[in-house]
Amino acid sequence: MATFPGEIGGGSARARTQSAVAGLDWWLLGSAIAVSGFGVYVVRVATDGDIPSDPGYFFTRQVAYTLIGLVALFFTLRLDLERLSRYVWTLYAMLIAAVGIVLVLGSSARGSTRWIELGPLRLQPSELGKVIIAFVLAVIVVERIRSMDSARLSLFVAGIAAVPAGIVFLQPDLGTSLVYAAITVAILWVAGQPITHFIVAGTVVVTLVALVLYILPAAGVNVLKPYQVDRLTAFVDSGADRSETGYQLEQSKVAIGSGGAFGKGPSGATQTINDFLPEHHTDFIFAVVAEMFGFLGAGLLIALYFVVIWRCLVIMRQAHTELERLVAAGLTAMLAFEVFVNIGMNVGIMPITGIPLPFMSYGGSHTLTNLVAVGVLLRIGRRGRELGPRTR
Amino acid sequence: MSTTSPIPPDLPSGDEPGPPRRRIRRPPRPVLRMASFTMAVLLLLGVLVARLWFLQVIGGGDYQERAEANRLRTVITEAPRGAITDRNGAPLVTSREVLNLVAEPSQLTGTKGAGALRRLSVALGHPPGYFAAKVKKSGESRPFEAVVLEEDTTPELQAYVEERRAQLPGISLEAAYVRDYPEGTAAAHVLGYTGPIPAEKAEEYGSRGYLGNETVGRAGMEAEYEEYLRGIAGREQVEVDARGEVVGRGILSQTPPRPGQTLRLSIDVKVQKALEAALRDEVRGSGTSTGAAGVAIDPTTGAVLALASYPTYDPDVFQSGSPREVRRLLTSPARPLLDRAIGGEYPAASTFKAITATAAIESGLYKPGEIIESPGSVVLYKTRFKGFNETDHGKIGVSEALEVSSDTFFYEIGDRSYRVRGWPLQDWSRKFGLGRPTGLDTVEGESAGLVPDLAYKRRTCDRAVDPINCSWRPGDSINMSIGQGNVLVTPIQMAVAYAAIANGGTVVTPTLGRAVVDADGRVLRDLLSARAKRPLGISEQSLRLVRTGLRRAANGNGGTATPVFGGLPEQFRVEGKTGTAENPSGIDHAWYVGYAPADDPKILVAVVVERGGQGANSAAPVVCRAIGAYVGFSADTCGTGAKVN
Repeated sequence: MATFPGEIGGGSARARTQSAVAGLDWWLLGSAIAVSGFGVYVVRVATDGDIPSDPGYFFTRQVAYTLIGLVALFFTLRLDLERLSRYVWTLYAMLIAAVGIVLVLGSSARGSTRWIELGPLRLQPSELGKVIIAFVLAVIVVERIRSMDSARLSLFVAGIAAVPAGIVFLQPDLGTSLVYAAITVAILWVAGQPITHFIVAGTVVVTLVALVLYILPAAGVNVLKPYQVDRLTAFVDSGADRSETGYQLEQSKVAIGSGGAFGKGPSGATQTINDFLPEHHTDFIFAVVAEMFGFLGAGLLIALYFVVIWRCLVIMRQAHTELERLVAAGLTAMLAFEVFVNIGMNVGIMPITGIPLPFMSYGGSHTLTNLVAVGVLLRIGRRGRELGPRTR
Repeated sequence: MSTTSPIPPDLPSGDEPGPPRRRIRRPPRPVLRMASFTMAVLLLLGVLVARLWFLQVIGGGDYQERAEANRLRTVITEAPRGAITDRNGAPLVTSREVLNLVAEPSQLTGTKGAGALRRLSVALGHPPGYFAAKVKKSGESRPFEAVVLEEDTTPELQAYVEERRAQLPGISLEAAYVRDYPEGTAAAHVLGYTGPIPAEKAEEYGSRGYLGNETVGRAGMEAEYEEYLRGIAGREQVEVDARGEVVGRGILSQTPPRPGQTLRLSIDVKVQKALEAALRDEVRGSGTSTGAAGVAIDPTTGAVLALASYPTYDPDVFQSGSPREVRRLLTSPARPLLDRAIGGEYPAASTFKAITATAAIESGLYKPGEIIESPGSVVLYKTRFKGFNETDHGKIGVSEALEVSSDTFFYEIGDRSYRVRGWPLQDWSRKFGLGRPTGLDTVEGESAGLVPDLAYKRRTCDRAVDPINCSWRPGDSINMSIGQGNVLVTPIQMAVAYAAIANGGTVVTPTLGRAVVDADGRVLRDLLSARAKRPLGISEQSLRLVRTGLRRAANGNGGTATPVFGGLPEQFRVEGKTGTAENPSGIDHAWYVGYAPADDPKILVAVVVERGGQGANSAAPVVCRAIGAYVGFSADTCGTGAKVN
């Protein structure tokens, strides 16, 4: 196995730190930190009046989450995926166990629970699970792509992904389970599975969606909870939807539209400040940006996301090993999917699925997850740059 | 950095070249796959930017308006209506601030709202569904508007609601104004009442800047002078949050409420109350009367000093009464809402003789100084016309005829009027203002009365049964000469007609409103001076003869009302005329029209008492009491005149 500077042990702490960050993709790290910093700022100005006794409540917590995430990012830089691949089934079992516990606890409590309470900490295992599933699937594909019939491989991988995704869906957390699906599709796609698989899978999904949303309810069988159906269909015509979801979407569009070209500024964003826009620090934080900073600000944010995803794609292309390429593909798909679906639901072209905006939305688990994913990608990038993509 | 080294050692074993398999895998083309991945990401981000452009740059204006509509609320502050006072500034109607119990339907949804309404209903002693029904009913006609559950709440209720604010979402106490009547029911018919804008007039009021739930004048002075009395509600624009609470910057713009202006009437509350009391006493005392009305005016200006109708009503019922009470007022057979002083039509009877006399002298039917035989009855056109009580008055002139109210004298005049060309009785009736509304400043309720003529006869006769009645016949003129037949007048018409005699020949327009004044009493608008006046066209000679007759009728030895007015001191000398209107359906209606002081008339009163019997006994005492209240003599002085044989 080749050695490279990042893994040379020993030396002073300073030298270790220097070597830890040397050779990183500064575009990716820089843009991810820039978006995170902007996110912390927007959380601050958007939640100023939400808790009168503590205007900085969400801000201080999000700052802490981001710092924890950055620490985790730097630890991840040292994570050896090849070595870790020996424990792939252990990791998979832990993931199933974690999301399974949440499901059991959630069904004993009332309504939905996505967290495990550990003292003051609330962990959302399904979030970190996104990185784990990307890794698990990549390992499985790499190990079997030459030996297994391609159709059986696709089905096997889909089945492996479906177990945790199904549990997460039952929690119920439709959005996160969709992210699992996106990761799976991306890995299989980049692995070069035949296009027919994707066509077949797409057809099956469209049929299932039609069944679940329209055909079965008409026949009196409700697979999804009514609020989930509302959220999924509200974007088609939010004006006609008098439910809570339709209201959210309508207010989001009003917030974004009223921002105009240059925005109303943090103090003039009345949709946000006066609470007309719900979830303005989590799922609808993009609408806050658009209201406060207009098309200019929102466009710049999208441009930053473009930089993030562009660097992820470059890293994927330059990946040294197939495993790393596929992990990069899964994580890139995760980020890109989340960005597109979240902003898409803010602007009213995607269903409301409760997916947070990476690096922006308030919340500990996904902030940690996204920064860990960046760490993994940075390591893959560094190895790819230093060792070069391997030709077959 | 790319390496062209041989197969690295960490490749999975499956990648090693081995024997050819049955199925040849197409080699994956990772570059193409990754490129398509990149294209997809670029495309999706492009879609987002396009959508953002569409929302923010193209549709921005629309959404800005909607964001403004979200955050801006207009808070309406009611303005009090102006007060209405009498001529001396004594308040007749004022506005009082009260707290109404108001429900906001949008916040009263679901079980929580229903529970709040049920608790309130029970707490206030209503059936449990009382308020819920009220809210529902209001929602049908005016959705989204606040519903007034209870007006003019008591301090106990206010305390109850304040203490339970948390349990009563959507329920609040809101300031409003109600009409107060310091003099009770006094001048009820004049003042009128207020109420919500009627549904059929919503658009008309809306175009004048009214809000849907405003209170407007619906009758009487409240309606006639609405434009001055109306208070203009204040508007405050405030910024609110999603819960509807006022936030941060608070008031953004403000138009303060503008209270209505004060309306000063020409009514004198002292005279008004005296007239009302006298009418009430007379009706109740008669045992047969069904109602009465009177008008007191200043004969020189037409200013109405008092205007009363009995039975009367309490205008407060329209504001705070139950629907049943309102319905009872509207359907009562006694017709308390009818203002008999302006809307009641009665045969003028002998009070008409002053008009007949004027017409006779002015048109030459009667030569001053002429003496006419006036027996108990006369036969004209083979018909016997009886005088009142068939009293023989011998040979008398016109003044004596008025004094004793000789019917046969005026039959002769009526017959003469029939035999000349033209229509002297009709012409002079109209000159005196009969046959059409006087133009009193009131929105509605004034009747035209009736001056019968050939056109009237033709319009009302039945050609098939009684064709001869379709022409003007001698009997019509003869009956008309004593104010019978088809002559119909209202008390206000007789007041205006006699005012023209009292003031020396000017027909005035009676006027209730005197001035619009501001809070400090400064006159903003004179409502009285500009009122129309026209000359009657009566000669000095006619005037003297008629006034002599009227003076003798109230004071002379044979005067019909001498027992009532004969005892008054010289400075309060009354001139006037009795009338006893034949009532085909029962006891006669009693009339009196008189004014005082005779030398310089300050007040003129016309009174009719339905089924009151003889004018001298029933109506004249009422007139006497009203005049006394104004010029300053005791009611006891009335009725101290010498009895006529």
